[in-house]
Amino acid sequence: MNFEDLQKAWQSHDPGTKVTINPGVLMKEVRRNQQQFWRTIFWRDAREVGVAALLTWLFLDRAIRHHDWSLYPLSLDCLFVGVYIVVDRWIQHRRRPVMNDAIQSCIQSSLAQVNHQIWLLKNIFWWYLLPIESGLGVLIAVHLWHDRHAGLSAMAGLTAYALFCGLTFWGVYWVNQFAVRKDLEPRRQELETLLMETGVATVKSETKIKP
Amino acid sequence: MTAQAQETIFRQWLDQHLGLMLKVVRGCAAAPPDQDDLFQDVLLQVWSSIPAFRGEAKETTWIYRVAFNTALAWRRGERRRREGLETYLKFDVLPQAYPSHADSLLEQEIVEKLYSAIRQLPKVDASLALMHLDGLSYQEMAEVLGISENYIGVKLNRIRKQLADQLKGDGDEL
Repeated sequence: MNFEDLQKAWQSHDPGTKVTINPGVLMKEVRRNQQQFWRTIFWRDAREVGVAALLTWLFLDRAIRHHDWSLYPLSLDCLFVGVYIVVDRWIQHRRRPVMNDAIQSCIQSSLAQVNHQIWLLKNIFWWYLLPIESGLGVLIAVHLWHDRHAGLSAMAGLTAYALFCGLTFWGVYWVNQFAVRKDLEPRRQELETLLMETGVATVKSETKIKP
Repeated sequence: MTAQAQETIFRQWLDQHLGLMLKVVRGCAAAPPDQDDLFQDVLLQVWSSIPAFRGEAKETTWIYRVAFNTALAWRRGERRRREGLETYLKFDVLPQAYPSHADSLLEQEIVEKLYSAIRQLPKVDASLALMHLDGLSYQEMAEVLGISENYIGVKLNRIRKQLADQLKGDGDEL
């Protein structure tokens, strides 16, 4: 059998599957899906930015009311993190893959998005943990200085608090690196393979990722 | 674009190109629940893509792009089960055991083998094989994939050989 015969058999065959579609329910489902997608995006952004905005306001309010200047850096750091997330989301939203693009372009945009996500999580220390940690560091250092004559228990309390913050940040860092290894790296390799299949010579994963 | 216009186009595409979408789905997913899941995703993406459709590309090229991109992004095990929702889609496997004559039986067997062979190919090659079997021109395939026609030719030679290896006995002369 030659290819033309195969093609003929292929084009004339009945898929062997009868598909019954309930158009009314289908339309309801596509609309629901669209709404759910935008709702998910909205609430994810609102949650992250909302927390940052709330913390900024709380620390700022406390700093002003109690004339505690050591809270200003923490408030500014929370503001920085919130703004960073908003700007990053906005830029990435504009670069998102479009399903009606040619396959190669769609794979390239998906790969760029995954690479950016990996970069973001691998560098979470610099844009998320370090700013907050430095703000907290200033706060703890100032309070340690103020309480230097308050006795051992106050010092021990502050040290325990500092340790707790350190451990929490280490946990956040670890969870994010785990997510990179478990989900994002395999996805990146998959996309690189797909891109190579379209004839694009990709730079393999070991190279340094740019945002 | 109004929701009504979008719905009209969607219904029209469903009538005219359902077979195309089904072939992509069957070429990319083997198990019926996976096919069901992928098909639902394809339908949703096709629907979402309609407002961006300006008629510059052919409808088939557009739908192929959306269907293949959805299939490439789709991963088994990441099913979003639609629990508690009404089912709008029902797959019924038709009885294949009693085709009208021997030729149909042979044809059916070949097509099943082809689907199975296509699913063994790398994903991009599988999409190319599906379009090639559907009789798309090199130019159309290049538009869907976003690669040059020359490269399409090179790849198709290799794909024919791979399919021939998988269909040994049926495709010796490929």
